Amino acid sequence: MAWWSRKPDSREKELSHNHTSINDSVRGNFALARLEDLVAWGRKNSIWPFNFGLSCCYVEMATSLTSKYDIARFGAEVIRGTPREADVIVISGTVFYKASPMIKLLYQQMMAPRWVIAMGSCACSDGMFDVYSVIQGVDKFLPVDVYVTGCPPRPDSLMEGLLLLQEKVGNERRPLSWVIGPQGVEQPVFPAQRELKGPKRRRIGRLTPPDYASHDLYREGHDANR
Amino acid sequence: MQTVDLALNEAIQAQAGPALLATQPTVDRIPTFWITKEKIHDLLRYVKNEIDRPYKMLYDLTGIDERGRSHREGQPDSDFTAVYHLYSFGRNAYLRFKVPLPEKRPSVPTITDLWPAADWYERETWDLVGIRFDGHPHLVRLIMPRDWEGHPLRKDHPSHGTELGLNMPDQKMMEEQEQLQFDPEEWGMKRSSDGTDFLFLNLGPHHPGTHGVLRVVLQLDGEIIIDAVPDIGFHHRAQEKVAERQTWHTYLPYTDRVDYLSGVINNMAYLSSVEQLAGIEIPLRAQVIRVMMCELYRIANHFVWLGTFSQDVGQLSPVFYTFNDRERAFYIAEAITGARMHPNWFRMGGTAQDLPIGWEDLFRDFINYLPPRLDEYEREIVKNRIFKARTKGIGRTTVDEAIEWGMTGPNLRACGLGWDFRKAHPYSGYDQFEFDIPIGKNGDSYDRATVRIEEMRQSLRIIDQCVRNMPDGPYKAIHPLATPPPKPKTMHDIETLIAHFLTVSWGPVIPPGEALGAIEASKGNNGYYLISDGSTTPYRNRIRTPSFPHMQMLPLLCRGLTVSDLIAIFGSVDFVLADVDK
Ligand code: SF4
Repeated sequence: MAWWSRKPDSREKELSHNHTSINDSVRGNFALARLEDLVAWGRKNSIWPFNFGLSCCYVEMATSLTSKYDIARFGAEVIRGTPREADVIVISGTVFYKASPMIKLLYQQMMAPRWVIAMGSCACSDGMFDVYSVIQGVDKFLPVDVYVTGCPPRPDSLMEGLLLLQEKVGNERRPLSWVIGPQGVEQPVFPAQRELKGPKRRRIGRLTPPDYASHDLYREGHDANR
Repeated sequence: MQTVDLALNEAIQAQAGPALLATQPTVDRIPTFWITKEKIHDLLRYVKNEIDRPYKMLYDLTGIDERGRSHREGQPDSDFTAVYHLYSFGRNAYLRFKVPLPEKRPSVPTITDLWPAADWYERETWDLVGIRFDGHPHLVRLIMPRDWEGHPLRKDHPSHGTELGLNMPDQKMMEEQEQLQFDPEEWGMKRSSDGTDFLFLNLGPHHPGTHGVLRVVLQLDGEIIIDAVPDIGFHHRAQEKVAERQTWHTYLPYTDRVDYLSGVINNMAYLSSVEQLAGIEIPLRAQVIRVMMCELYRIANHFVWLGTFSQDVGQLSPVFYTFNDRERAFYIAEAITGARMHPNWFRMGGTAQDLPIGWEDLFRDFINYLPPRLDEYEREIVKNRIFKARTKGIGRTTVDEAIEWGMTGPNLRACGLGWDFRKAHPYSGYDQFEFDIPIGKNGDSYDRATVRIEEMRQSLRIIDQCVRNMPDGPYKAIHPLATPPPKPKTMHDIETLIAHFLTVSWGPVIPPGEALGAIEASKGNNGYYLISDGSTTPYRNRIRTPSFPHMQMLPLLCRGLTVSDLIAIFGSVDFVLADVDK
């Protein structure tokens, strides 16, 4: 969807230059889009998570809501207490066998369209807990949209996961109603992040030495890799 | 390590007579007596009620599957062993009893009549080890689902999840849901009395107020809680079983995840036991670094507690402030350990690295920054009128009750007993630091809050002393079992290189023995009771966590109060489900 808008301070200048062609003012006041795109855009920018947590990872998920990380910047701070109002369930933690009926039931209670983020090694693949009381990854019984790795992932990683999900949701095409257009969901195909980011990562030549806690050195290492 | 108490030996010998099968020397020097199953109840009653300076607290109760063990010199024959740990505040000492049991239908008499707190411990031992407790009022599984087959901590039970191929198809989901149906009669509850029908409210297993996957079934008369039945086990990660397949060294990262808010404090608890077994002396610098990091994590833990607690009682903004301050603590933790929540930074014999250059400044900033913030929190959260109204007099306990139920840590101190294992059983050089033990008076939710806030100030005081007096020297012991071995020592000759290779690839071999290492963690007394069979992995790892008994006390704390009070109690007790279920 193409966007056009004036900057907040640009209005006066433009007026004084008398640049207001009918075309310009129309573009400044309307957004033209296909309804489908508009709905996808709206969905993408207001993904509301379900207030759901299982273990350690949930603490980092909660941290991403607080001021330093502030997930509200991406429209995902509206934590819902009931699955029926939520768009995404973040499986933040270990998928315990005894808890899994409840996980599955809660997912089933969510209304479509609904998405799943597997947060942390435990939810992705069970990480370090290959043990008798834990199901080996939540994708054994739920369809996962985005995997966020780490043990626990930093709040930043969760937010990156959210952005990836947004990209996915924005490019998904769903029927507007059961009487309009073709039915079924069109899913975009995404390459693995490893393929996208690998080349850049391999170029990194300088890591922050672990023996220094000073900020300057950290920044130096950072700049050298730019 | 404890000193030997000859008078106790005599007293127990006299009381037990021929029922005393053996006394077992252990590395931790905790007096250990093997008693017959017939006499154990009597003996426990004796040391609890009749001996002078009695052992009032049932510290832990568990079982061992001995069937695969090779080093049992001097111990009576046994296929399964029930192990009782007691603690005496008067003596400041632990005591251990063991009961040998046969392979076929192992059972001991229950001690729930002596200690009500034995209830969950016995159910847990039945569930995980398969030892029956005759006469237990309701011996059903505590941790695993009811229809689970086998007892996981037995040596013949599979350990890996991949072996079992667990899944949750729809059909199974319905069956499991069915099993979770609560039946009041099963718990001896009535559905109605005096013309009122009780309401049974199911709180959890997924509820924002329970701080994790915990389920509590409440029996309500209107809004008043008549009784509560906590249902745990939803967070069971098999920490004890995992130890049996990890090396002594590679188990360290798992400890981080036992109480996942306290980071390195868990490492400390585990190592306090392993290092006794290995006989490693920790260099001074490593000790002080450890103390400093433990206190930093204690503060980080209390920030989470404070934020979520105040949120539970209706204050919405403090959590944003406390989490921000927690980030400041994590900034330091990250600069030093490289990680935030799960640093896994201590090692057998010391720490993973030396402190980075520039560490003092980070701590100094923190020490200067925090005190005014703590004052502010106290003013704005704890002294707030609504907060007081919601917490004062709510969830009260007395010192006696607390000891009876195994309560430790800040919760015990809130009742008025200034008992801190950092002072009572100093480890890692805590006796060299100046700090006070804050105590409360009433043992209610409010006192639990004030005690913890003061505790953060004391932690800061300890950190300050560490920063000002950090000794020089190595950060890891020069000892053949210190893991990973210090690198410069490995390049002398082929022998040292081989030793290094073996220690790193197979892990160190710890001499056979048993030791309990217990410390003051952020939530209370956290102990690791480790058994080595002289191999590269622990034979048995028993984790005694503080949150387990605290959770068991919950019905006691909330009876007669309302549901909203229950939420305030949850918040004030500061538990983590990973610490309850392990
Ligand atoms: S991935 Fe790591 S941090 Fe997350 S729940 Fe599992 S063990 Fe905890």
